[in-house]
Amino acid sequence: MKHKHDAWGWMLAVDFFFAGMGAAMLVIAGITDLFVGEITTSVLGNFLAPIFVAIGACFLILELGRPFQAWRVFMNPKAILTFGAWNMLLAIGFGIIYASFGVKAFPWSDMVVLRQIFAVLSIIVGLVVATYPGVLLARHKSRPFWNGPGMMVLFLTSSLVTAAAAHIFCGLLMPAPTEVVLAKLSYLVVALLFFQIIIWLGYIMIKITGTTEREAKAAERWLKGDIAGSFKIGFLVCGNVLPLILLLFANTTAQAVGALLVLLGGLIMRHLAVKAGEDRTWLPGELKYYSKLPTGDEEFLKAWKC
Amino acid sequence: MAHYVMVIDTRTCVGCHSCTVACRVHNELPVDMIYNPVTTVGPTGVFPNLHMVHIPLLCMHCENTPCVDACPTGASQQRSDGIVWVDEKKCVGCKACVMACPYGARVTNKEKGTVQKCDFCMDRVDKGNIPRCVQTCHQKARIFGDLDDPESEVSKLINKEHVVRLLDELGTKPNVYYIYGLEAQNR
Repeated sequence: MKHKHDAWGWMLAVDFFFAGMGAAMLVIAGITDLFVGEITTSVLGNFLAPIFVAIGACFLILELGRPFQAWRVFMNPKAILTFGAWNMLLAIGFGIIYASFGVKAFPWSDMVVLRQIFAVLSIIVGLVVATYPGVLLARHKSRPFWNGPGMMVLFLTSSLVTAAAAHIFCGLLMPAPTEVVLAKLSYLVVALLFFQIIIWLGYIMIKITGTTEREAKAAERWLKGDIAGSFKIGFLVCGNVLPLILLLFANTTAQAVGALLVLLGGLIMRHLAVKAGEDRTWLPGELKYYSKLPTGDEEFLKAWKC
Repeated sequence: MAHYVMVIDTRTCVGCHSCTVACRVHNELPVDMIYNPVTTVGPTGVFPNLHMVHIPLLCMHCENTPCVDACPTGASQQRSDGIVWVDEKKCVGCKACVMACPYGARVTNKEKGTVQKCDFCMDRVDKGNIPRCVQTCHQKARIFGDLDDPESEVSKLINKEHVVRLLDELGTKPNVYYIYGLEAQNR
């Protein structure tokens, strides 16, 4: 018995993390394939991309109150969740087909045009899946921290940076046929991490100073409230600044640790962003009302059970 | 076709919570679910000029429904008479509507795994009755009716009194109106 306000839980944050990372991995693999050369990212990374999207989809299903009815989320084309679900499905399908071109045992691995078609398709659906959680959250008018187009940029950036880091890590485990991309990918991650720090600080500053009182209050939670520690130490320091330094070293261990820290930062960011949605535009007296209701561990409730 | 609205007169509401209880009994809600809480603001001011207001909350049955738009399964629906309701058979409990609703009017039934909400007691309304909370209110602080009928009490009140709608700035066009006055008046 809990009279707290209903909100999305941690499993949706994990879904956003895996789906965003996997989708952006498809984008990076597809772009480098088209503009740098044939299969320049690790085949392991290319296969893990759709698997990560699928893992994200599994967490999304587990978040549902009735997981066995999950197929119903494909039914309303007007809803953004339906749009996202279809694109995740397509990303999984296109991603697996695209990754299979990297396995020479398959007879279609030499079909260049077909591979490039699937690279393009993977880029398109990958970009949609990497961006859509931000769009989903940004459309919530009464969630002051989410509302506004900035959330879309934050999620797309995080998806791209975690995807590049994942490709680096996969490249260390199973090197790509050519090192031309993976050798440079760490510079992309460093640049994106720098960009990410700037846009997050800018986003919070804008929310605190430039908009409504509700938004200012919701944003203050990130600097002084219950999630401030996780944001500053977990996300900014461990998930951004440390990997930004580590990835500048040519050392393999430093690169691996840096890449893992980027992933950790991405996961923390998703968790905090989803948690920030608990803050709604409260109606008059609403918080006071709910604070007076029992939460389930009061003495009189325990006595009743005895 | 009717256009159902509710007018809540906060000048006469005494915060007895009868409507909350009646709603929970009528809808057989689990102990941790409430469709229509009654919040209290105040007391404010300096003695002897103190003021306190009770605000019954419920689903606003918005004309522009963010909850219906967000529902990926089509479970959240709006009838032509304006009533917003949830088809439990189609609901998967994704909470998209819960998050989209600016009024916190939707609650998850953890036993069923679905989302539920106030539906203006549409089973009663369809039989020509008024919602249970309206019937229960001994102060007649809740008034329900057809806004398209110029002779209805709600029509007259909305035209005569200074009414406000909660979070109107969000563009949801709620169908619940509040008479929010400092001085109690006899109706």
